[in-house]
Amino acid sequence: MDNILEVKNLKVSFRTQAGTLKAVRDISLDLKRGKTLAIVGESGSGKSVTAKAILGILAGNTIIEGGEILYDGKDLLKISEEDFHNIRGDKISMIFQDPLSSLDPIVKIGKQITEAMLLKSSTNRRVAKKEYDSRLEALKKNMYAAEGSNHTGEIDELMKTFERFCLEGNHLENAYNIAHSNAEDLLGLTENFLFLAEKNQPQDVKKSLRDFRTRLGKIEDPFLTREYKPRMEACANDLSRAASGYNKKENNIQESVAEVQKLDALLKEITEQTRPDFFSIGYYKLYDPSANLDQPVDTLNAKAEAYINEKFLPRFTQYEQEGVKYSFERALGKKKDVLGKLKDAREFFAKDFTQAEAKKVSKALCAEIDESIDELEYIKDSRAYTFRTALNNAIDRYFLCLKRNPKEEARFARQTAKRERLIARGKTVTWKVVPKAVYSKEELSGNILQIIDRMNEHYDDLVRQSDQVDLTKRTNDLTNHLKKTASEIVYRVTKSMAKEKAIKLMDEVGIHEPRLRYNQYPFEFSGGMRQRIVIAIALAANPDILICDEPTTALDVTIQSQILELINKLKAERGLSIIFITHDLGVVANMADDIAVMYAGKIVEYGSADEIFYDPRHPYTWALLSSMPDLDTKEKLDAIPGTPPNMIYPPVGDAFAARNKYAMQIDYEEHPPFFRVTDTHYAATWLLHPDAPKVEIPKAITDRIRRMTERLEGGAEK
Amino acid sequence: MTDQKEVLLRVEDLCQYFGPTKAVDHVSFDIKKGEVFGLVGESGCGKTTTGRSIIKIYNITSGNIYFKGQRICAGTRSYREAIKAARKELRNCSDEKRKEELNQTIAEKRAEIRKAKYDHKYSDREYAQRLVKETHEKYREMQEHIKSPEEAAKIAKEYKDAVRVAQKTKLITKIQMIFQDPIASLDPRMTVREIISEGLAIRGIKDKEYIDNKVFEMLELVGLVREHAGRYPHEFSGGQRQRIGIARAIIMEPELLIADEPISALDVSIQAQVINLLNELRERLGLTILFIAHDLSVVKYFSDRIGVMYYGNMVELAETEELFAHPMHPYTRSLLSAIPLPDPRSEKKRVRIIYNPIAEHDYSTQKPTLREILPGHFVRCNDAEEAKYKKEFGI
Repeated sequence: MDNILEVKNLKVSFRTQAGTLKAVRDISLDLKRGKTLAIVGESGSGKSVTAKAILGILAGNTIIEGGEILYDGKDLLKISEEDFHNIRGDKISMIFQDPLSSLDPIVKIGKQITEAMLLKSSTNRRVAKKEYDSRLEALKKNMYAAEGSNHTGEIDELMKTFERFCLEGNHLENAYNIAHSNAEDLLGLTENFLFLAEKNQPQDVKKSLRDFRTRLGKIEDPFLTREYKPRMEACANDLSRAASGYNKKENNIQESVAEVQKLDALLKEITEQTRPDFFSIGYYKLYDPSANLDQPVDTLNAKAEAYINEKFLPRFTQYEQEGVKYSFERALGKKKDVLGKLKDAREFFAKDFTQAEAKKVSKALCAEIDESIDELEYIKDSRAYTFRTALNNAIDRYFLCLKRNPKEEARFARQTAKRERLIARGKTVTWKVVPKAVYSKEELSGNILQIIDRMNEHYDDLVRQSDQVDLTKRTNDLTNHLKKTASEIVYRVTKSMAKEKAIKLMDEVGIHEPRLRYNQYPFEFSGGMRQRIVIAIALAANPDILICDEPTTALDVTIQSQILELINKLKAERGLSIIFITHDLGVVANMADDIAVMYAGKIVEYGSADEIFYDPRHPYTWALLSSMPDLDTKEKLDAIPGTPPNMIYPPVGDAFAARNKYAMQIDYEEHPPFFRVTDTHYAATWLLHPDAPKVEIPKAITDRIRRMTERLEGGAEK
Repeated sequence: MTDQKEVLLRVEDLCQYFGPTKAVDHVSFDIKKGEVFGLVGESGCGKTTTGRSIIKIYNITSGNIYFKGQRICAGTRSYREAIKAARKELRNCSDEKRKEELNQTIAEKRAEIRKAKYDHKYSDREYAQRLVKETHEKYREMQEHIKSPEEAAKIAKEYKDAVRVAQKTKLITKIQMIFQDPIASLDPRMTVREIISEGLAIRGIKDKEYIDNKVFEMLELVGLVREHAGRYPHEFSGGQRQRIGIARAIIMEPELLIADEPISALDVSIQAQVINLLNELRERLGLTILFIAHDLSVVKYFSDRIGVMYYGNMVELAETEELFAHPMHPYTRSLLSAIPLPDPRSEKKRVRIIYNPIAEHDYSTQKPTLREILPGHFVRCNDAEEAKYKKEFGI
């Protein structure tokens, strides 16, 4: 279950004037949590279309012909635009290829970064509240069931307590965060002041000092400033004195600088304090009658933690674990039942059936599946959650197409006859007959069966692996999840917080002097810097998945490697899962854990980075690898002859056959299936068929692999 | 070995300022006949500006550019500054002898400015005049051996055409450029034939048949077919458009081709096609190429010598093998460490060297210049650094 996003059998085409262009033809991908999946291919291979389908931003002339994209219990191809608003940008973000065209030229950078944070603030709270309530409800239900009726009172009390203090702690934290961000804001200003003073740049000293003073007054939080109150007051007085003592004509800046330096040091101390543990403190404050919050943070932390550990957490965790266990076992039992039912349903759908019957069967089956979902699982089981929509869709399509087929046939016959008639009369006919879109019954019922089979397989796996599930870890995950959503409920973004967060982000993505640059326009930045801003905007909402669509193609080597390092760093720090789209295999080597090589709308090779680079199997991968020179290349480059095929008329058989010097007769007749190389490595080429002639990998690649291993071994010896 | 080759293009102290921005600042290099000279650096370092200054898209601020021994571009700013400095000194000067000297300098510099302006403006005319003279001599000889009146008429016509072409020929057309973006650099309303033959038409060639043949020849040379001549640019893929751009450049029979990032905007599989094509053309036509790019693997594969630019300055210049074997300037090292390689295991271990010019160099006492550290290997450094680099390589 470590796949955060699954793309299954996705088919996308575009309606164009010349005909239907088949951009993506049946691809399946898995994105693992915290890993990078690279999609490599030429332009027109459908890699960007895949990314856009995931993000739901395909153009208006798109036809999604089939498939599903599973994320967080939803099928992204079937949810409404309203629902997509909660996912796009928040959960899945995208970095576009051209940093120039993805920024608004007439809006300041700072505003562009904070815009989404401010706009989304209330929506996010609402969504979090919904999620929190439903989870708590489910937990309570399961706890009741697990413990029987004699513990209801205790459970009620525990749940109420949890909810109360969790929110209380978060309220405290929010206030703390606001004060903290104010302090950081001021710290930035003082640093800027000192920087300018050091460089003897002109500035309005009096105004700055007074501004500092008012801002200092705004930093107020019992936890943050408890020990610093007297010093802060003294500092404020000193600032006023320095401001009144400053004379512009004499430019006696020394005193002011000294005061600001003092302030700077003070602020640094304040902002670098240990953070209070608000989760524990919330409980301590509400339930310990002798609670005294007026203590140094460290002792307070220790006390609160001891108190909560003594009075609340063990009991709660025990009940929670019981609940989780109960829920898991109930769901597991149900799943075992459902497996049999799925088999029955399969038999039913394999035969002929009427619409009413099908409705009845699917309704019963979906109810069963819904029952069998473990509601307390932190990562939602997308397959089970989307089963209902997928099945109903397939059934609806079955009947709709069957109804439409005769009409379509009639239309086709009519038009063909008319055309022939006209031609027979000797007229020039400029129009073509639109090809008939008739679906066979087998194909349609096949779709239904496929969904059921996949579900069956999935549950089979789950049941088989059920003894490996670590329930303690699940419980902890659930608690953390609840804490996180609780903090999201009370999280209010103020303008200054958003600004601080934006500046932190800008710093994180490597923009120097973010405070000065915050108020600049996009044209004042170089290409690399602009791309960093785009990344900052993408990260502003803390997404789970980041889609990078050729993020470095417009940049040069040094900037490129900086951006790649940055993306890698952010991935490690934030646990992002990344889909990285590029045509440059050199870039991929550094980034990817898994690689999918695409050509003409299909995946031709899929494997881990090591497998693709050290043991490539598909001729197209060979061609890609050998067509670019590396630092040791001397001989003539193996260019791929010709250009990619026109996807309005996709070739029969292997699409790469026409440019492939290893093509065999069968390549022109039938599309190769995926041949397994290892468990993680698949390639769609007839060359891997046992009957295929043995073909040598091009010399350029074997040479390079040899050199690479030699260099690696040489490096290891050193 | 390369030392014996004739220098085709010499850039001396080229400066190109846009207002306060010093896009190119005192850059000097030679390009020898038949070689590929690679110019690398990050975007905004002035490599494209250098290329454009050479074909006179910009008027250069100061410095000289010589092509085939003839000065084609000249800037006057350095002279004007010298005059200004001399005048300033003159105002406070009491020594008669010194005054005399200063006055003389001013006069000299003024003469230089006049010369520079003249060369900058009339280098093409002088070249054309020379060509016309040569044509006259050639046909005078031919006219002496005329036997029949038909032949006389034919030669007279040819003579007239040749003189017209010679008059309209510009030296600068011996330098041609290929642009980065194959879509933006082709006029969408012209057919491929018109695009490719436009240069010939401007030169004054009116013979339709000759032009058509030439266009077909060029199309075939760059790997397209004759039928393509009647089509419009939008009907072609990126790689084919870039081929059209190349055909348009080489139809003028250039001696120097400036390729400004010709493959950056292309697909991987097409990039290799274009590189192979350029390589082939270079062998067949004996072209000299100034190859501007930021992809170091390609530059290494393609170039004989490489100049590394950083913020308007040439920081290192050496033969390709030498540069990659012994990079000296810290910026070059950082650039080389940033090349992505198709090798995941070594990529994961790669350490990128970060170049910070403020921390790296101390130019407070002495300003750096481009100096020869090893034979043919130039690095921008001052005395202290020169000693350091030399010590590193045991000289």
